[in-house]
Amino acid sequence: MHDGAAGVTAAGAAASGPWYAMLIPILPLAGFVLCALCAVFRVRSKLPAWITVGLLAASFAVTAAMYSTVQGTQITTVFQWITWSWGSGPGQSFTANFAFYLDGLTCLWMLFVTGLATLIALYASEYMSHEAGAGYCRFFAAFCLFVFSMACLVMADNLVLLYLGWEGVGLCSYLLIGYFYKKPSAVAAAKKAFIVNRIGDLFLALGIMLCFVHFGTVEYKEMFAQAAVYTKAVSAGEIEKVPLVAQLIAVLLMIGAFGKSAQLPLYVWLPDAMEGPTPVSALIHAATMVTAGVFLIARTYPLFLISEYAMPTVAWVGALTALLAATIGMAQFDIKRIMAYSTVSQLGYMFAGLGVLTSVGAAAHVFTHAVFKAMLFLACGAVMHGFAGQLDLRKLSGVGSMPGWRIVNVAMLVGSLNLIGFPVITAGYWSKDTILGEAFANPSMQGVAWILLLTAGLTAYYTFRVYFRVFVGPQSYEPGEELHAQHDDKHQGHADHGHAHDQHAHGEKSGASHGTHDFHPHPPGWAINTVLVILTIAAFAAFWPIKGTSHPSHLGYIGQMMDASSAAYDPHHDAAMYQFAAHKPAPGEPRSHATFFGFDAHKAMMWVSGFVALIGMAIAYFLHYAGRTSATHSRADSWLPAAGPLANWAKHKWYVDEFYDFLIRKPLLVLAHLFHIIDQYLVDGIVDALGWLPKGIGRLIRPSQSGELHGYAFGMAGGLAVILLIVFLVTN
Amino acid sequence: MTDRLQFLWPEIALFAATCIVMIVGLSRRYASRKAAALVAGVGLLAATLLSIGFSPDVESLPASAAQQLLPNLVGFAKPLIGIVGLLLLLLAAGTVDRREEEEIVRGVRVFDPLRSNRAEFYSFFLFSLTGLMLCADADDLIWLFLALELTSLPTYIMVVISTAKVRGREAGVKYFFLGALGAATFLYGFALLYGATGTTNLNAIASHFAAHGVSTLGMAGLLLSVIGVCFKIAAVPMHFYTADVYEGAAPQVSAFLAFVPKTAGFLTILLLCATVGWSFGPSAEPLSVVKSSAGGTQLPEVLRLTLWVIAALTMTVGNVLALMQVSVKRILAYSSIAHSGYMLVGVIVGPGDGSFTGSGVSAVLFYLLCYGVMNVGCFAVLAALERAPGRDGEPREIETVTDLRGLCVTHPALGWSMVLCSLSLLGLPPLLGFFGKLPLFTSAIRAGEIPLVIILGINSAVAAYYYLRLAFAPMLEQADESAEPIVQAPFRSRQVAAVVSAGGVVVLSILGNTLMEHSRTAAEYRAAVPSGGSGHSMVDDHRP
Repeated sequence: MHDGAAGVTAAGAAASGPWYAMLIPILPLAGFVLCALCAVFRVRSKLPAWITVGLLAASFAVTAAMYSTVQGTQITTVFQWITWSWGSGPGQSFTANFAFYLDGLTCLWMLFVTGLATLIALYASEYMSHEAGAGYCRFFAAFCLFVFSMACLVMADNLVLLYLGWEGVGLCSYLLIGYFYKKPSAVAAAKKAFIVNRIGDLFLALGIMLCFVHFGTVEYKEMFAQAAVYTKAVSAGEIEKVPLVAQLIAVLLMIGAFGKSAQLPLYVWLPDAMEGPTPVSALIHAATMVTAGVFLIARTYPLFLISEYAMPTVAWVGALTALLAATIGMAQFDIKRIMAYSTVSQLGYMFAGLGVLTSVGAAAHVFTHAVFKAMLFLACGAVMHGFAGQLDLRKLSGVGSMPGWRIVNVAMLVGSLNLIGFPVITAGYWSKDTILGEAFANPSMQGVAWILLLTAGLTAYYTFRVYFRVFVGPQSYEPGEELHAQHDDKHQGHADHGHAHDQHAHGEKSGASHGTHDFHPHPPGWAINTVLVILTIAAFAAFWPIKGTSHPSHLGYIGQMMDASSAAYDPHHDAAMYQFAAHKPAPGEPRSHATFFGFDAHKAMMWVSGFVALIGMAIAYFLHYAGRTSATHSRADSWLPAAGPLANWAKHKWYVDEFYDFLIRKPLLVLAHLFHIIDQYLVDGIVDALGWLPKGIGRLIRPSQSGELHGYAFGMAGGLAVILLIVFLVTN
Repeated sequence: MTDRLQFLWPEIALFAATCIVMIVGLSRRYASRKAAALVAGVGLLAATLLSIGFSPDVESLPASAAQQLLPNLVGFAKPLIGIVGLLLLLLAAGTVDRREEEEIVRGVRVFDPLRSNRAEFYSFFLFSLTGLMLCADADDLIWLFLALELTSLPTYIMVVISTAKVRGREAGVKYFFLGALGAATFLYGFALLYGATGTTNLNAIASHFAAHGVSTLGMAGLLLSVIGVCFKIAAVPMHFYTADVYEGAAPQVSAFLAFVPKTAGFLTILLLCATVGWSFGPSAEPLSVVKSSAGGTQLPEVLRLTLWVIAALTMTVGNVLALMQVSVKRILAYSSIAHSGYMLVGVIVGPGDGSFTGSGVSAVLFYLLCYGVMNVGCFAVLAALERAPGRDGEPREIETVTDLRGLCVTHPALGWSMVLCSLSLLGLPPLLGFFGKLPLFTSAIRAGEIPLVIILGINSAVAAYYYLRLAFAPMLEQADESAEPIVQAPFRSRQVAAVVSAGGVVVLSILGNTLMEHSRTAAEYRAAVPSGGSGHSMVDDHRP
């Protein structure tokens, strides 16, 4: 099905899907209810974790079954949710059912969402163990609710249900970032995430409304069928035939996607979101929720293909975000934050991939990134768990060679290799390479392509900066601040992991004067190790969906899945995108293909991107490993002044937060004060005056409620008489 | 006549349960008296299931057996009555003789068979519901009158025995005398209708009106009937009793009063309006004799205007008086008046084009369901709580809004139930009340009743003032430390009723589409055929 939009049209006559697809969201919902019940009945065991792991695993099994049976596009309707009509014509009815749109895109997303959620829940069963009790139940209830919302988002067959899921994951993200709700920074981060997301959500809502206004429906099936008409016009090189309103829909949806997926200018919430427990960071803020924006664009790809402005914007914003986040990541010292910026940067790659028209490459990168980034976070979390909350890469060294840390070390290494796209053997190489190759092949996207290539080198550097500083080299460590926390205040901050656990495991006496000498890092237990082993294997196994079968995009099964979805688009066969080229060839003429210094862009990139990754890695080796004798100091630190103020700016995140503060928050505050004054004196005055009216009427008729029986009887009889009298007068 | 029996299985089941409750309630043994509530519950559940499971197939019945005007009404109204009735029964636990029961349990007092009137309460409860269900079946004025009074008479006594306070007796007496006045009014109206048409059968009346037009006498009968029934729905000018009676009765009985007589009243008004039909247009014919053959989409102008004025006044009076109250029960009483005004808008609009958003009748039926659930929730919270006994040793009822403060912290389940139910009464999306109010607006807009819609909108906004107070007091304010603490009344089932209602407010709004579809079907209206025909054979049966 290489005919893109036409394929979507063909899929418009969707068969009804398997009934059991509805179990995918229902099982996590049941988990949510059960965990909430656990909280009600004050369960103090690990029961909520096992409920969650079991139900999510079942959900994953159902997803796998769905993948093996669903062909093309199928729709499973659970129940009629909203059906209103105020006429029989087009656009005079509003239908949004609780129905699921099952195609390749849904399968791909749900496979990694449910799969990773199961593994991360297992990991969290150990990671959160010191929270046993109400906090444990709360965590897993929100966790299940998140998976349910994500399933609604991904599987929805209309934009309204997607919006429900979209808000649901936002809510869960808020709840889980602010899990340690007595810690001010966590609360601030949760609020920041929620508010920044609101901006994006507003535009998403506007996009959905505009969709209804223009297409008269919010159901994908109908929408895509109508958009196919425009796609034909675009293919014929007549983009001007597409009305501006239709083009604007994609722009609005795009801004919504920027918010959820942390792209410029709305990326600032994601690094702060690392205040949440690490399993949350791994699942929600690395692997799944943040890819919702990518999903939204892939799902509504037919709408983006008809928009002259949306697609190039997506590409450029993605590329710039990738670069900006990578530069910030290079200068951070908190390893979890580095991973957070890396997530923002990689999400930029995915957006750029969508923008340069390789939806297959973007989806493949989402998939590989989900696996390896979750693994990297979990490995960092294991370190954090073991070293009492220590995350500063200047205070840890040689962790990999300590007893009991081998699995974490291997997982970290494999994850890092995937992240930088180590040539040939890693799945991350193939997905990133596809995006780069396609960017260079697109004549109008050369700038994007070069930015992405530069970012690939930076990625390799900051990734291995972490690995070379923390996991290899001389052994040395300082425990984190949680060691000094009081035992009884686990809800008062510092709560990411209990040091009480640490000390009991090692038979130490607790006291106020813990020094480095008393502290022994405790290596991860079986649950964390099992998950890391499975993910390490999965990171390699991710090779199979990409290379397991042949596909024109070199992306095997993922390519096939995307072909059988709403994001189906093949840049080599579809002519739809002529309008983005600098010159418009006549219809039918093959698309001009840019080259990389005279070589075929795709083949050249296989070499060049691998080479760039190796260079970045080598620089990291030279600056952070070679000749390093202590944890605190490496060669990079001596060379840093040479970079001038740039390094300092990067360290301070290019002062973007301060800039937003100055540009948006301050003026808003001033405005708020201004409006407050207007509100107090003008609006309140009017409202008070208006509010006086009903009260006045009330006071006027209040005496009629005297409480006296004869008064009431008189009122009733009198009222009756007055009405009859008036009627009598009117009729005669 | 036997054809009609198949409509009546739920009522028969309820009546049987009522008899058993009365007999069990006269037992000399304490244990069997305690079973009265259980028997009542089983009977009501059976009636509900019967009404859901064995709804007669209207199409296959002979025309004389079914109500022809609103043939599907029964299939929606009875399950609705049964389900809300079950909620109310949960709430009614321990309404009478509570202190005495406690003393018996503690062994302070010996059980005295002559003193206990627990069983009476439950049998009155069931009698009233039986009457309510019979209202839905009514195809005859006499039937309608008997059903209405069967609904109301037990409530007078329920008000009195629900509380040991003098205030309750005062409320009961007021309610009784004013109720008699209301009943006299609509009975007079029924008599005039009989005089105008020579029949008491509703279908025959409708056929008569369709054939000969609505005479002045007939119109007077209709007006008197409708205004008289306004007492049941607590609409202007028959609304005066509401606040005093609701405040005087125990909260669980107030919840009963806000739903049961109101539903009976609206079913009656719908049936009465159906006899003239909504097919009168603004016509050039003289107002004294109007014919439905004009082909418009309205009630006869006189009736429409009367209802219009009543609706506008009712919602306004209810809302502005509620603004000034501090007692939660009085607020809810006035809000109950206001909600009747909202629903009257749907009556004025009529069946419209038959779609859900266009039919005022289906909007009324759906709103009755919404209102039933939300209203029970609010009163259940009041009934489930009390102030701990002070110096005099008597636990006190929750009275003012300040008593609700901080409830979300002290009693989270009840507090949030109050928040959800009052926000739903306000009509805040996405709660049930919003979906209830929406079709009232849309159908009225489509029927062109724009001024009425504006009044409805303004009133909804005014209502926010006191509903938000009810919602914010539990959620945002601090509990008053100095007074006696608020504790839960020793009846778990009341809490269950509150939480189930609050859950219903959320869940039913998600499943609302199905219910709306049911209410749309139930609202199907068949205009009468001008020739008398089938109806007249029925008339003879009833002629005195």
